[in-house]
Amino acid sequence: MSDLPIIELQAVTRRYEEGVRSRLVLDGVDAEVMPGEIVALLGRSGSGKSTLLNLISGIDLPDAGRVIVEGRDITGLAERERTLFRRHRIGFIYQFFNLIPTLTVAENVALPLELVGRPDKGEVSRLLEQVGLAERGDEDPDRLSGGEQQRVALARALIHAPSVILADEPTGNLDAETGAQVMDLLTRLVREQGATLVLVTHSQEVASVADRIWQLADGHIQEARGAPA
Amino acid sequence: MSLTSLALWRDARRHPWQWVLAVLGVAMGVAVVVAVDLANHSASRAFGLSLEAVSGKASHRIESAGPGGLDEGLFTQLRMAGIRPSAPVVEGHVRVAGETFPLLGMEPFSEAPFRSHLPGVLDPAVRELVSRPDTLALGRGLARRLGLEAGDSLTVTAPSGRQVLSVGAILESPAPGVEGLLLTDIATAQVLLERVGRLDRIDLILPQGADPERLLAGFLPPGARVLETGAREQSARQLTRAFHINLTAMSLLALLVGSFLIYNTLMFAVLRRRPLLAALRTLGVTRGEVFRLVMVEAAVLALVGGVPGLLLGLLVGQGLVHLVTRTINDLYFVLSVTGLHISPWLLLKGLGLGVGAALLAALAPAWEAARTRPREGLRRSGLERRVHRLMPWLAVVGALLIAAGYGLVAASQGLVAGFIALFLMIMGYSLLVPLAVWLLSRLLVRPLGFTLGITGRMAARGLAAALSRTGVAVAALTVAVSATVGVGIMVDSFRTTVQGWLGHTLQSALYVTSPAPGDERAGSLLPEGVMERVGSLAEVATFSTGRRIRVASGHGDVDLFVMAPAPASYEGFRFRAGAPDAAWPRWQRGEAVLVSEPFAWHHGVSLGDELTLFTPRGEQVLPVAGIYQDYGSQQGVVLMARGLYEQWWDERRVGSLGVYLAPGVEVSAGVEAVRRALDDLPEPVLVTAAAEIREASMEIFDRTFAITHVLRLLTVGVAFVGILSALKALQLERAREYAVLRATGMTPGQVTGLVTLQGALLGLAAGLLAIPLGMMMADVLIDVINRRSFGWSMQQHVPPAVLAEAVWLAVIAALLAGLRPAWRMGRVRPAQALREE
Repeated sequence: MSDLPIIELQAVTRRYEEGVRSRLVLDGVDAEVMPGEIVALLGRSGSGKSTLLNLISGIDLPDAGRVIVEGRDITGLAERERTLFRRHRIGFIYQFFNLIPTLTVAENVALPLELVGRPDKGEVSRLLEQVGLAERGDEDPDRLSGGEQQRVALARALIHAPSVILADEPTGNLDAETGAQVMDLLTRLVREQGATLVLVTHSQEVASVADRIWQLADGHIQEARGAPA
Repeated sequence: MSLTSLALWRDARRHPWQWVLAVLGVAMGVAVVVAVDLANHSASRAFGLSLEAVSGKASHRIESAGPGGLDEGLFTQLRMAGIRPSAPVVEGHVRVAGETFPLLGMEPFSEAPFRSHLPGVLDPAVRELVSRPDTLALGRGLARRLGLEAGDSLTVTAPSGRQVLSVGAILESPAPGVEGLLLTDIATAQVLLERVGRLDRIDLILPQGADPERLLAGFLPPGARVLETGAREQSARQLTRAFHINLTAMSLLALLVGSFLIYNTLMFAVLRRRPLLAALRTLGVTRGEVFRLVMVEAAVLALVGGVPGLLLGLLVGQGLVHLVTRTINDLYFVLSVTGLHISPWLLLKGLGLGVGAALLAALAPAWEAARTRPREGLRRSGLERRVHRLMPWLAVVGALLIAAGYGLVAASQGLVAGFIALFLMIMGYSLLVPLAVWLLSRLLVRPLGFTLGITGRMAARGLAAALSRTGVAVAALTVAVSATVGVGIMVDSFRTTVQGWLGHTLQSALYVTSPAPGDERAGSLLPEGVMERVGSLAEVATFSTGRRIRVASGHGDVDLFVMAPAPASYEGFRFRAGAPDAAWPRWQRGEAVLVSEPFAWHHGVSLGDELTLFTPRGEQVLPVAGIYQDYGSQQGVVLMARGLYEQWWDERRVGSLGVYLAPGVEVSAGVEAVRRALDDLPEPVLVTAAAEIREASMEIFDRTFAITHVLRLLTVGVAFVGILSALKALQLERAREYAVLRATGMTPGQVTGLVTLQGALLGLAAGLLAIPLGMMMADVLIDVINRRSFGWSMQQHVPPAVLAEAVWLAVIAALLAGLRPAWRMGRVRPAQALREE
């Protein structure tokens, strides 16, 4: 494991214009995540958790400050470069799964591989098997249960072996038991791949799987539980 | 506004473009209907007024069966016998500055009871001026157009040749029907129209209930008859009826396409507002109230779109009325339409049709909205599953409607029934479209996946995944484009057939005709001596003669073509019924006539039937020995041998010569020689090569269909708005999907490409599906328009260019419509789209 952080946030500020008002969501945030770490991000609704994930992935830009991932300042990259960076280095998991309804289960999983230009049916099958959906590859996503859909999303996020996985309330739309199963699977696979996971959640229980827990409030991050020694 | 309505209204304001497009669709649909209606109505009204101007309040008229007209002594006899009010009339056409105008010669002192309703005509000053020889009167508008003032000279080309007249009076505010007329006294008209001593008719006002035959017994010379004035108007209106019905049907097609657009907008609005509707249901709003809310919304939409549609219709109508008038002038009779006649009733009807179509289109979305369950909005996937379940049933109903359409075509001969059948088939086919789109989508997944990877597969699957939306959008574009295919095939089949017919029917190398406009009854006439001069030329091998006159028959007034064929002329006739070898000898001997195909159709005449002709020698009955192909006249003609005509009508003059050149003589040399030979005649004649006639005929043909092309374009315009609206709706629904793709690493260019590809596939589906429907439409149009309206039979000719045009037109329309949505989706900010969930 490298000694250098894989994610660095330096004085990151982000505000939203809401009508005539301006709302400050992140107020000069400084933070670091080391490679292979699992970080849970807690906070109230509207506290800026999802914004932080969007900034790390480069789908949003800060108003001030720098976001450095794998040593590259992505705030200085052009839109296309940020997209290509995301394509290769980031995997996303959402609360509402966001599977593409016009693609089958297997095709949804294969999508990132195809985008990076190395389609690999064997890898798709292997990962589907790992998430327990080997038999459902040809089905449309809306035929699956919520837990199954999230497992497909999980496979899609991991298939191209990204270095960073960003999960935005991955269990928020699942019952407790299914949520626990999904979290087990997610943490196991992330650990196996040696990837870094930043996890947004409301649940202390979900956050307990993390190496570190950040609390986001009033635009600032506070470390609720430190990194293991 | 109730709070529930307010909730929907505020929601609508958040998506203004969707409503703006729907309003635009309604406006365009209403505009096309109103424009066509106004143009039809204005032409029809102008026709009625001009007829009223020349017929006045006459209840009856005395006419001659032959082209020579009535002896003017008959009028004096009637007056002396106390049969009045009566007024003599001479009428015909003259040409001024390349335009043809109706000329009415009247006797001012007898006119008062007949045309007193035409202000200005009976002013004492006008009466006096008109009574002077070689003087005419005309309306202010026409005078301004021709640059004339009272006292100016005017050169007219009349059957008697070129004549210079003086403008005696200008009628300051003539009734609309008089505006396009040239008025002279009887004597001037008789000279101009070569009818000295003759009258075209005598107008009568007979007491109600009087028996005209008994009243006039003893006065009517052989061949003269008394007719009710309404009969003439009826037959002229009959002529243009088919033309007007065809235009109306085309305009309704635009409204139908507009209705698809309304359906799509409302259905989209219902689906998008499902949570809002569900919340309203939770609060106690009943299903019926939800249903009414959507229906009211549709009515408001239709009214908001309908009013600008009316204004747009007035504008488009201005342009269309010229096209309609030009077609009527080319094909039927001289008609001068001075302006658009706007009646409130017509505007109300246009608006009513728009609102009606919108309410019908809103039924399904309103029903869908009423099904909303409280607490839970149905997910889009639920609706799509239902559409997929419904798809086979829709297809079955569609197939049944198409079969019913074909059944109606087979069972009924009527024109209106034909159009109803056509609409049944279009509706039926529209119901088949979702299934066809689904199949096409399945078919395209592999090839597109192979060539374009996952983007191709997504685009192909996208067609079927949102079938509730794509099905309707594709159906709208399919119907619009199929109209292009159907009309294209019909026009091309017609064009090819007419071209072939012109090729074989114009057997002579050149034709000699009179440039003077023909008299309605006597037709155009060549000056004396033309035959002798042409016959004596070394360049000429032989010639045929022809003359067209209008005669009375047992089937009403009919066109008689009198012919003395050259030996090669017979090759120009293609028989549809009867054997040429048997028919021609009988015809030549004067034992039978031939009739053209339209004549046989319109008058229900078959081979061997007998035809009664009213001749100056009394009633004559002749059998029909053959029916031949002819596209020269919509009402058809009776073909008679010249010998028989001369015997019955005692007339020798001819209207045209078809000249066959001696071997080795070039056509241009022949034309030159004939022109030289006829150069010093007192009246000019036209010498035209057959090729030039063919060219001019095809030019008129193409002009006739100009209005059809305009309507086609308008319909495609409505469909374009429809596809734009559907694509925008789809993109709004899929914004999140695209955001996920962007988050996963798709570049803006790739997303734009995907959206563009989806648009192109919608267009491709519509283009491909439009071909079979277009061919079906062509089949019915050829049968309905050409056979039922005009009695013309023809071979269907499917030009590959028309089919290719359909596909590219649909794809281009869809691509153009998709340009902006694709560009916008490429630039969608994933963070915002994901945040807005």
